[in-house]
Amino acid sequence: MAGPAWYSGSVGLSALVRSLGGALDDYRKLRRGFHWDTPRPAEWPEASNAVPDRPTTLGWARMEPVRSLRWALQKGMLMPFTEVMAHPKVEGEEWVQELHRPVILASNHTSHADTPLLLYALGDRVRERTVVAAAADYFYSRRVIGFLTSLWLNTFPFARTGGPQEVLNRSSQLLKSGWNLLVFPEGTRSDTGALQEFRPGVGHLATENRVDVIPMHVRGAHRIMPKGRNVPLPAQATVRIGKPLKVGEGETSRSFAERVEKAVHELADGAESAQVTGSWIDRWQATAPRKTRR
Amino acid sequence: MRPGAVVEVDRNTPPTLFHYGEGFRLERLPLGSRIIYPPDPMDPIGHPERAIRRALTKPIEDDPLKDLLRPGMKLTIAFDDLSLPLPPMASPDVRQLVIEEVVDMAAHAGIEDIQLIAAIGLHRKMTADEIRHIVGDRVFTAFWPDRLYNHDAEDPADNVQIGKTSNGEEVWLNRRALESDLVVYVNLTLVPMDGGQKSMSTGLGCYRSIKEHHTVHTLLNSNSYMHPPDSALHHSCIRQGQIIEDAVRVFHIETSLNNHAFPAIANFLQKRETDWTTSDQAAFYALKQATDLAPPDLKRTMFHSMLAPYGMTSVQAGQVDKVHDKTLEAVRSQMLVPVEGQTDVVTMGIPYLGPYNPNSILNPVLVVCLGLGYLFNLYKNKPVVREGGVVIMSHPTRYEFHSVHHPSYIDFYDEVLADTTDSAEIEKRYEKRFAEDPWYRQMYQQSYAYHGVHPFYAWYWAAHALAYLGDVIVVGGERSTVHRLGFKAATTLEDAFEMAEQTVGRYPSVSHLRTPPLLLAEVE
Repeated sequence: MAGPAWYSGSVGLSALVRSLGGALDDYRKLRRGFHWDTPRPAEWPEASNAVPDRPTTLGWARMEPVRSLRWALQKGMLMPFTEVMAHPKVEGEEWVQELHRPVILASNHTSHADTPLLLYALGDRVRERTVVAAAADYFYSRRVIGFLTSLWLNTFPFARTGGPQEVLNRSSQLLKSGWNLLVFPEGTRSDTGALQEFRPGVGHLATENRVDVIPMHVRGAHRIMPKGRNVPLPAQATVRIGKPLKVGEGETSRSFAERVEKAVHELADGAESAQVTGSWIDRWQATAPRKTRR
Repeated sequence: MRPGAVVEVDRNTPPTLFHYGEGFRLERLPLGSRIIYPPDPMDPIGHPERAIRRALTKPIEDDPLKDLLRPGMKLTIAFDDLSLPLPPMASPDVRQLVIEEVVDMAAHAGIEDIQLIAAIGLHRKMTADEIRHIVGDRVFTAFWPDRLYNHDAEDPADNVQIGKTSNGEEVWLNRRALESDLVVYVNLTLVPMDGGQKSMSTGLGCYRSIKEHHTVHTLLNSNSYMHPPDSALHHSCIRQGQIIEDAVRVFHIETSLNNHAFPAIANFLQKRETDWTTSDQAAFYALKQATDLAPPDLKRTMFHSMLAPYGMTSVQAGQVDKVHDKTLEAVRSQMLVPVEGQTDVVTMGIPYLGPYNPNSILNPVLVVCLGLGYLFNLYKNKPVVREGGVVIMSHPTRYEFHSVHHPSYIDFYDEVLADTTDSAEIEKRYEKRFAEDPWYRQMYQQSYAYHGVHPFYAWYWAAHALAYLGDVIVVGGERSTVHRLGFKAATTLEDAFEMAEQTVGRYPSVSHLRTPPLLLAEVE
């Protein structure tokens, strides 16, 4: 047990055989000890799970080795595929290069292609720390689909129909743990590609957790994979990233959500106003300790 | 919550899991042995932020924190270091949640002069990443490095003597804390030894005050130091803490956790063997084979990347002693297991991690500290093993040290233990030289090394067990290293029982401590 191992090169084949023997021995111990071939002994106490519900809702998809696996899948497959299919043009990426605190990323939603395009625009470092809110009733109604989506895109189930407090708690946990949150405040994909009204949830999340919101807009995803089509077609797409928006002193969640909606509209219109560009000083101040509301 | 249990081994009992450093062993205990299992994890508080806010607003025997904060004041927030909890907690750490709330209140009150100090005492300084993990991104970005830093117990300008206790014990304190209008201490209590007056007197103290209670004499008279009323160590800390309370206004915040110590991938470590499902058995088998085959560095990386999904079970704030009483109640309700009588032999698996090797190596001296210090002392009333009995531990016990974190441990092992393993002798002849060695001091201050005196304290931690026990046997340990520690080495558990019989007689009674997750045996 305490001797050198076979891979050390000093003991060679005999140690390898010993290692294999150990594996066989462990297998036998498990088979006999845990009564694989016989009924569970009556004197054993009733089995208990002994593991409470997770105190956090981070979920397995945010843990190793799943994170490393997803990094490899995205880097090796998803990003090259997105590059080939959409030749994405990204504007305003400087707003997500210097993130020191978790943020909410709020974007319009026209297609399943939005998420890969937005993740592409975020760059490696931010993408690795970003969780995507995915409709629980759509993606997680079947376990296999939910599992694959979580693995592939780092999504978590976001209940569109559940109580707002439950949604807030789950999302707050993620933000507090240092994850950025990508949400689609329209709640569902647009049929026409036009912007729909934003739901106030994004405002609740930002004011409750006192985090900035970065508005984003995807143009062209609707042509790649519109609602109702399951196979993507190549088409040019543009992702625009706006200046982080801070919750103002005394600002309500509803009025803040309206401000986010306005910022996404401005990105959609291609407006170059100070509201979405700003200067390096704004960026600097955006990372300063926040004056909070109480 | 299912309470802890004492289960007797019969022919149908499945084999028992033993931790074995960065690995495991599955062992068959003799028929009639008893296995002491910890209680299952308590349900955590659903919304910790709200509970924290409530604790700060309605503290115990103190004013609400908000009322203590005013513009222009000097505020210091001190917090426990990475020696707690074990394994480190998955984000967000409860200290992060508490500190964020306190900083929010301070910002609202318009306090400019605020500093955060990691109360490391004589532990190694934490790296930036380790501090970031504890306090979270937001606090780290706002304050590191100028206003968020490690305490330095060796900087003469940073430490001030504030008095002596009625027993003549010197009391020293971090200068910034002393000069503050208010010190908010953010604690995390995992076992009853932690927290209370010990937090500030050791965490923000220096060698001259810590050496007053970290002595062989005090530890021999702490039966056990996991039960503060019977602990001379804690009595001394309380005396020092009262002097600190007279000198500086302290608002104390304590949190306790459940014992959900292992992530989902290692659920089998959390469960009793009879609860193991097929997937638990498969996970065990896969991890066992991986740890048997993987090189030590890879295994260490794997194990130290495990974060525990602990849940907060209580939070209270206010006056130190009152707060600590409430915390201990919560901790005991999670850990206590009633155990009937002592046995001749106690077996225990030594895991990969103790308080002094997060992101580091559990060197041979720390194996002793963890096994005969921490695990042996997890009792109330009297030890699980009888006086003159035998402890059998399983650990590889390799001659392996982290040269950055534990430089003085290497010399302690090579020079001091080669001479004697007698704690009193070691204290008398060697402690002062190591404690005042300028090279160790330099590495403590400028690098990430534990203080020069730290291996002595790790050894004294086991002093009570070493004086109490008839023999100590290490299963699977490197023979030369085990002998240097003054113990006996056995290849298999069966051999260890044979050897133990020479000390305690034929057919000994046996208890196995199935920990971690941690438990506290209340022995009748």
